[in-house]
Amino acid sequence: MTLQRTRTYECMCLLDNREVRNGWQPIKDSTLAIFTKHGAKILSGRRWDERRLAYTIKGQQRGTYLLVYFSADTQALAGIRRDLQFRESVLRSLLIECVEVPQAAYEPEAEFDVNAIPADDAPASEAPAVAAPAEVAPTEAVVATETTSTETNS
Amino acid sequence: MSAPSSIPGGGANGGSRDGGQRRSKFGRFGARRREVLPEEPLDYKNIAYLSKFVSANGRIQSRKRTGFSGQNQRMLAEAIKRARIVGLMPFVGRM
Repeated sequence: MTLQRTRTYECMCLLDNREVRNGWQPIKDSTLAIFTKHGAKILSGRRWDERRLAYTIKGQQRGTYLLVYFSADTQALAGIRRDLQFRESVLRSLLIECVEVPQAAYEPEAEFDVNAIPADDAPASEAPAVAAPAEVAPTEAVVATETTSTETNS
Repeated sequence: MSAPSSIPGGGANGGSRDGGQRRSKFGRFGARRREVLPEEPLDYKNIAYLSKFVSANGRIQSRKRTGFSGQNQRMLAEAIKRARIVGLMPFVGRM
């Protein structure tokens, strides 16, 4: 005997910007199809943000977040989690239980221009900007150590 | 010559030397702290607020620093860990 319980869940999906640039609606629909495939009822599915990641994930330094609120049977969660992990366009996903859906989730989604997504800035382009002040610092440090050593000798 | 009746700083029944008001054994550390309530919801999406409770190395601050209750401290730690998983906050270092 299986226990049938329907609960409300919140899922934050981090989508690959390389896929998002091909079009927002197709990747959104294909991601939401994972939930409906397992019998979940989508309450809200909207773009949360497009931002720079705190650390590189699969070579990507930026990503688009899709926030989904859905109600599903507790038995369906394992299948949803598994399909999200298998989907290559989903870099990360976080599925947690939600007490109530916030009112902001039902508001219409803002216009999203996929062509306005900034390109991933490679770490090599940032290196010279950081390295320039670092070159000055060692010379000052050497001078400082020399002065202290002379003071010590005198 | 008789020994002093009370040993300074020792014994629960020792004589009081400050006019009958007993001082705490642990000094100021034993004082009751007032519980601090979170000003904003402890949600993993609220990165700006969660970043206040993370050190320069990315470590979650202790209850002694945050002043939160046990329940709120657990919610804070859980929210920060969730934010780390989805790439909103770093595991090590500051954003």
